[in-house]
Amino acid sequence: MISQINWALVAPIIAIQVILMIIALVDLFKTEKTNGPKWMWVLIILFINILGPILYFVIGKKHA
Amino acid sequence: MKLMEVSSLTKSFGKHVAVNNLSFSIEEGHCVALLGPNGAGKTTTLEMLASLQKPTNGSVSFLGVEKGDYRESIGYLPQQPVFFPWMNAMEYLVFMGELSGLSKAKASMRADELLELLGIADARKRKIGGYSGGMKQRLGIAQALIHEPKLLMLDEPVSALDPVGRREMLELMKMLKETTTILFSTHILHDAEEVCDDVIMIHKGELAITGSLSELRRRHQEDVIIISADGNLDEWVRSIENWNVVSKVIANNDTIKIYVKNAEVARNQLLVEIAERQLPISRFTVGQTSLEDLFMKVVGK
Amino acid sequence: MKKWFVLFRKEWLEMSRNYKVIWIPLVFVLFGLLQPVTSYYMPEILKNASNLPKGAVIKIPIPSSGEVLAQTLGQFNQMGILVLVLAFMGIVSSEQRSGMMKAILVKPVGYSSYITAKWMSAVLLSGGAIFLGMLASWYYTILLIGDFPFMDIVKGISLYFIWILFLITFTVFLSSFLKSSGLVAAFTLLLSILLTLLTPLLKKWMEWSPAQLTNAAASLFTAGKIEGPFLIPLITTVILTALFLYLAGTRKSSLSRLG
Ligand SMILES: Nc1ncnc2c1ncn2[C@@H]1O[C@H](COP(=O)(O)OP(=O)(O)OP(=O)(O)O)[C@@H](O)[C@H]1O
Ligand SMILES: [Mg+2]
Repeated sequence: MISQINWALVAPIIAIQVILMIIALVDLFKTEKTNGPKWMWVLIILFINILGPILYFVIGKKHA
Repeated sequence: MKLMEVSSLTKSFGKHVAVNNLSFSIEEGHCVALLGPNGAGKTTTLEMLASLQKPTNGSVSFLGVEKGDYRESIGYLPQQPVFFPWMNAMEYLVFMGELSGLSKAKASMRADELLELLGIADARKRKIGGYSGGMKQRLGIAQALIHEPKLLMLDEPVSALDPVGRREMLELMKMLKETTTILFSTHILHDAEEVCDDVIMIHKGELAITGSLSELRRRHQEDVIIISADGNLDEWVRSIENWNVVSKVIANNDTIKIYVKNAEVARNQLLVEIAERQLPISRFTVGQTSLEDLFMKVVGK
Repeated sequence: MKKWFVLFRKEWLEMSRNYKVIWIPLVFVLFGLLQPVTSYYMPEILKNASNLPKGAVIKIPIPSSGEVLAQTLGQFNQMGILVLVLAFMGIVSSEQRSGMMKAILVKPVGYSSYITAKWMSAVLLSGGAIFLGMLASWYYTILLIGDFPFMDIVKGISLYFIWILFLITFTVFLSSFLKSSGLVAAFTLLLSILLTLLTPLLKKWMEWSPAQLTNAAASLFTAGKIEGPFLIPLITTVILTALFLYLAGTRKSSLSRLG
């Protein structure tokens, strides 16, 4: 069943998720303050599929 | 020549009047201190002069033009300078320079000069977010000076600095006042006396005293004789209050401050009295009131 | 004008330093790609995941290309708007709070340049993200499901973008009047939800509603032509957008603001 999935189609989706994750992590390590502890955001970014990095970008960062 | 003329400037926040009917003028080339205790209305006044707040009443004219946009001719350092933490000093200064109307090339040239002048050239490529308070203060001055303004307004430029930084800032201001008209606010009279020519003292939003420092000294400085004793002098104090040469006596525990009209006459008379009555004097000082006393009198403390 | 570009450049520099230039378009592309893929695999996923009794036959038709694209639009209209509003809620208010606004306005800069430079950069980034996301969705839809005319896609996105333009302008407007970014987001999302929900409910009364533009775009995808009101909402939306931009770009009496 899984073998029927066209990996060429799914690969870009995974790639985008990975890029988002990396950017979110880079940003997380660069910023001084986040809303809530940093380790929590690391977990959210890594383990909440699709939404993790987005959540970090929109509510994780402390706005000046 | 008058660079700026302020007439009956007033600002109220609801019922609270922060600045009340303030009038003064700034001579070109002078260094002027806006002096007042916390909450006197210094920041509010400066922000109105920088067109960051609209006065409730009154007007400001710059080089004779009333109601003009003279922002191009002023540089302003806020009380708590803020920056974009994600920019470096160079980027920030060029950005501010371009906003002030300079070309990009001119702005980067000025930025280089100023970073050098203010001693933060080494940190020019570092993110401002990582700057110390003193470095930010310098960068704040640099952005205010980027377009070579005619009038430099500094809101408490030294209050937040440590003794060394403060010394440096005062020296810098002395240097800048050679080329630029400066208006700066402070609540420390000593700083004003050190660098400026004129003072504008305000209290509770109202103008208390204004004039040149030398004039204020002449007008308001009094001779004072301070006597300390080991015993009780109350009775004697009451007797000298009526002397012609004495204008006021303030007795405080064992120390008596005698404000006199003529220091020499008073000194001789007092010394004779002391000797005759054999008063238990431990200290006898002849001097002058400082402007600090004047300031305190104005502030009512 | 030169100063306007200086301010505009600063906005882009800031958006690239905080990665908005990358992550916002990527998020839209991600949603755009996911929609056709899930639509395509949904029957299989359901078949495998379900614990249906043996022998039960489920027939879930794969939707048409147009339907998938309309679904993508629906996704943008929920997650997409949420992301954009949260990303831009502090566009003015955060600089007001930090004092950066005063630092800029003490320089000889017009307040309207300051606001419109921000507005323009937010509009361009949102527009770019939506176009990219929709193009990605279109590409995958063609690959997986079936052909769809490119021109209809462009028309549909353009219509939909006007609705987004309206919401972004409203965000900038509120951000320039309120100090709290949270309130900006709350009010903008409330407006968006109210318009989206009430428009189909009160058909008669809501012909003017900017949310009609979403329906118009969706019908263009599913039916190949615009159904329902189109010109009236287009005109009101453009007028409202201009009005909010004008209000955002003019200081009332003083620089000190509400809140
Ligand atoms: N936005 C405002 N709304 C209401 N009241 C204000 C506002 N800004 C200033 N005030 C009031 O106006 C008065 C003068 O404030 P201002 O900041 O000008 O004083 P200041 O002389 O600069 O004091 P400091 O030495 O503490 O900086 C204060 O009583 C302050 O509470
Ligand atoms: Mg102040």
